[in-house]
Amino acid sequence: MSSETTDAEARERLIDLAAEFYDQFEGGDIPHLEVPTRSKSNIEYDEDADVWVYGDRKSTRSANSVRGARKLLKAVYTMEFLAQQLEEGRSSTLRELYYLSESWDEKEAKFGTQSESDKLIEDLEIVSGVKREDLHMRPEESGAKIMGPLRIREQTRRGDREIHCQEDVGQGGYQIPNNPDTIEFLENDADFVLCVETGGMRDRLVENGFDEEHDAIVVHLGGQPARATRRITKRLHDELGLPVTVFTDGDPWSYRIYGSVAYGSIKSAHLSKYLATPQADFIGIQPEDIVEYDLPTDPLSDSDVNALESELEDPRFQSDYWTEQIELQLDIGKKAEQQALASRGLDFVTDTYLPERLDAMGVL
Amino acid sequence: MVEIFAEAVAPCATRTAKRSTFTPPPGGFYPRNGYTRHRMTSFQSTLGEGEEAIAEELAASQREISIAEFFEKNKHMLGFDSGARGMVTAVKEAVDNALDATEEAGILPDIYVEIEEVGDYYRLVVEDNGPGITKEQVPKVFGKLLYGSRFHSREQSRGQQGIGISAAVLYSQLTSGTPAKITSRTKGSADARYFELTIDTDTNEPVIQDEGSTTWDRSQGTRIELEMEANMRARSQLHDYIEHTAIVNPHARIELREPNDHFKFERAEGAELPAETEEIRPHPHGVELGAVIKMLNATDSHSVRGFLQEEFTRVGAKTADSIIDAFRDRYFGREMVWPVDSTVWPPNAEAGEEDATGADAVRAAVTDAVSNKSGDDTAAFADAVVDELGSAASYSELEAAVAAAAEDVSVETGTTFGETVRENAVEAVWEVLSATRGDDLYSLVDAATSVQKDDATVAGIARRIGEKFDEDTPRDRLTRPDLRQFVARAAETTEDVDDVTVGETSRENITDEIWDAMALVTDDVPLTREVADERNAARDLLDAMTAVDVMAPPTNCLAPITPDLIEAGLKKEVDAEFYAAATRDAEVSGGDPFVVEAGIAYGGEIPADGTADVMRFANRVPLVYQRGACATTQTIKQIGWRNYGLDQPGGSGLPNGPCVILVHVASTNVPFTSESKDALANVPEIEDEIELAVREAARELKSYLNKKRSMEKRREKQNVIADILPKMATKVSEMTEREALNVEDSLARIMNNVLVEADVADGALSIVVENHDDVNANPEVTAILSDEPSDLSAGSVVEMDGEWFVKWEPSVSGGDEAELTANVPDGASCELSVKGIEAEKLTVNQ
Repeated sequence: MSSETTDAEARERLIDLAAEFYDQFEGGDIPHLEVPTRSKSNIEYDEDADVWVYGDRKSTRSANSVRGARKLLKAVYTMEFLAQQLEEGRSSTLRELYYLSESWDEKEAKFGTQSESDKLIEDLEIVSGVKREDLHMRPEESGAKIMGPLRIREQTRRGDREIHCQEDVGQGGYQIPNNPDTIEFLENDADFVLCVETGGMRDRLVENGFDEEHDAIVVHLGGQPARATRRITKRLHDELGLPVTVFTDGDPWSYRIYGSVAYGSIKSAHLSKYLATPQADFIGIQPEDIVEYDLPTDPLSDSDVNALESELEDPRFQSDYWTEQIELQLDIGKKAEQQALASRGLDFVTDTYLPERLDAMGVL
Repeated sequence: MVEIFAEAVAPCATRTAKRSTFTPPPGGFYPRNGYTRHRMTSFQSTLGEGEEAIAEELAASQREISIAEFFEKNKHMLGFDSGARGMVTAVKEAVDNALDATEEAGILPDIYVEIEEVGDYYRLVVEDNGPGITKEQVPKVFGKLLYGSRFHSREQSRGQQGIGISAAVLYSQLTSGTPAKITSRTKGSADARYFELTIDTDTNEPVIQDEGSTTWDRSQGTRIELEMEANMRARSQLHDYIEHTAIVNPHARIELREPNDHFKFERAEGAELPAETEEIRPHPHGVELGAVIKMLNATDSHSVRGFLQEEFTRVGAKTADSIIDAFRDRYFGREMVWPVDSTVWPPNAEAGEEDATGADAVRAAVTDAVSNKSGDDTAAFADAVVDELGSAASYSELEAAVAAAAEDVSVETGTTFGETVRENAVEAVWEVLSATRGDDLYSLVDAATSVQKDDATVAGIARRIGEKFDEDTPRDRLTRPDLRQFVARAAETTEDVDDVTVGETSRENITDEIWDAMALVTDDVPLTREVADERNAARDLLDAMTAVDVMAPPTNCLAPITPDLIEAGLKKEVDAEFYAAATRDAEVSGGDPFVVEAGIAYGGEIPADGTADVMRFANRVPLVYQRGACATTQTIKQIGWRNYGLDQPGGSGLPNGPCVILVHVASTNVPFTSESKDALANVPEIEDEIELAVREAARELKSYLNKKRSMEKRREKQNVIADILPKMATKVSEMTEREALNVEDSLARIMNNVLVEADVADGALSIVVENHDDVNANPEVTAILSDEPSDLSAGSVVEMDGEWFVKWEPSVSGGDEAELTANVPDGASCELSVKGIEAEKLTVNQ
């Protein structure tokens, strides 16, 4: 998947897709659309790229059932809308698309739920080979906030801006745009990138001056990272040659956050080469940290246990390291938040824990 | 018909409509007046002298009443209660007669029924195209109750269903006061005969008020005109009756004209007269005692054997013999058989002190009994007796043995052993044989009783049974009930004296064991007239007949409608979309053969709300009243109709929906619940058959409904997709800026359809059949061309009115296609019409 597709190219791809349907009709075939199956069972490891991509299993939407016919009709209407949007140089959010469909004349083409339209956009993204962003479709969630010794230039609608991510920003840091490819890296004095899951921890790091002390670029993931966040992280690694580390809570959902940064997500595995940073390392909280630092914990709930066991089956987590850690956690039956380190004092995390871990990982 | 009447009068006869066993005493019926007798008795006891005069007085007022008079006072019993019902019954009698008469004469029935209001009364006219009635018979048929030819025939007939047309005549006479008017013409007569007659209720004889010849436009047939009190409240029952009659008699044409309406029920196409039925003789399992006695009195056969074979159906030589053996057992009983080797001489000698045992004892007995013969001869005789006797014998066998021995020895030695000698010998041997009864019975009793009974008990029982023999049983001959008594008494005594239990099962087993060991009696059975005179003998004979297995009666006495004609009948009167019918094999109940048939009609114009309509028939006659009491209705209610696709709230009761269920029971003797013959009685064998017949038809309904539902689903799917696909096509052609698309082909493929496409271009015609389904398709394709085609590659062409019809019937297997090509002039047009493929599966492109 190319990183940049012009509007014209994107539009042409959509029309090519429509032409495929046209040919199917003309040939008297049953109109259909094939997309890779987007589930855990169809994730494969791509050795060259070192990321996880979709395998060969396909799902077919075919007009030979009532349901399939409806889906294809919606797809075609959506394609027309996107082509129109591209021609006009406009963009919209996923949610707006869902509401927009209500205004279409054709009853059968209206979306019932937003998740339906979201999935369709994903389908189209994969099949047309055009990124969602290049189709001018934006999600709700905003991207990461960055704080660190980095000077960038952003191309906005209102002109170019040059920003230093420590000097020119407030306490909150620099908010990346939806399409991080509009950012150009100018200069940097960073040694590594530290991705942080929670806002609270991020604030702790900034307050304690961690970014200045260790020349780290602190990227606030904000939970499950948006595509833009993952993209910028990858670019920081690839273009600036900076090692990337990830610091999250110690529970299965957080491990998945790490996974989507490092390995690629299941929902956008077709974009893994564009979004994933396979070299990213996991700092913690590791289950062995819980034991070693005797952190305050919560017991694992049933869903936590299920999630851990599911991760044992997840091909992305089937390394020795992860298998050991997950089984340890199942044994101790506990989870801990990253902010639990405060039980050892507010400065423990920046004075002791992180330096020790980063040193062990060879980053510091 | 006789028996309904008989039942009305003599309630001690059975209430089911079996062939009558009650013979009216000579001289007519007496009113049911047991009360008279009681009164006389009480008078007798209380009064002294005046009693004789009272008795005479009372006697003087007793008199016989005629059938007609009885009927007059009991009309309701025979279907003539209300004015409404009376009309229906009168129509029924007349129409039944007309159908029976025409069928018997081999004519397809054409019947006209008219009801007209005449002042306070209604006039009923029924006309038929039958063979007509002779002028001698007309008065009797119409003017004499209980007169007719069908009473004794044992074949399926409508006539069984009613009292007869004469009852209608009487009813009309009673209510309107006018005579019946009958016109009839037999084939070949110059004129028709005309009668006006009434019935003399005292004498049950017709009274001809007027008679003459008259012209008539029919060449043969009968017309009856009756005026009666009635009301048309029963209009719907009447209409139903005629309509239902038309359904189960699709070979008949019936016209009904009544004050408010006019109906014509046409004959079904191709319907023929029902098969001729043959009368059958009674079946041994289907007769009662009175009937047997009557038959015995009437038969020509002297011997019982001949009687059985002649007078009954399914009784051949072997069956007759089995029956007679069974009769012997009951009438004579069997004789106990005593073994030879347990005998001792002298009889009753103490153990250890006997002079001879076994065969030698027998010899000794014989020798002792014979005097006046030489020693050698006697010895020879004794030996001969021993030889003939064998190992065990009954009294009769002993007699036979002695006789045979005497014969042989006479021949050998020349000495005669006459009657007296033989008798003495028999007596003597019998004495020794039967002296050891108790011991002999031991082994039988032992075999019959369980191991738990100890030897002493067994011996005790055996001895006591043996003792019973001594007293009142010459020849040791017993019937089974008698034997059972012996065993019972012996058992009781044993229980009292020895203090052990001998239960019912043991007693039964012992009786069985002994009975099996006893010998059949070979005496001559009495002659038929002797059996007729002796009620017990007749009873025994009847029991024997019932006990022996006899093959089911033949069914050529029945004429079922058959499934094709049931469907045809339903089709012509009920506008439905689906028909099914089933006829079961004949079965037997109480000695009478019967056949059950069922039919179902569904959908179409049948009203969808409300319960299914149930049509009940017996011997091709509709049953209109008492629906709830009828076994047919009850059986239908018990079926789980949901399983067959009909709605049935609560899982029982009549199903809901646009459905008609028809059930026909045909028999030589249909069992009804009451004398009005409106409802079938609950006979298990018949109910089972009704259920099976209805289920057979219902299964076809089920698969039809399933198919209908799946077709509907297909249609729905087709509708939605046919709606969506063109829209999708329009969108993509807009986006790609290409020509508008035709989506038919894609559609055809989606719907697993058969696609038929015609294309005319450049002088070439191409018709293609594409089969996207997975089963074979055999469409009939007709292409109507405006110009003449040439070089047809397949099919045939016919010209009509300036157009050319190309007919092509390819057989296309699933996934395959077939093509027809031809040359046509430029500008020719082609119109396709395809048959043989359901509309939902067909796509035609032209």
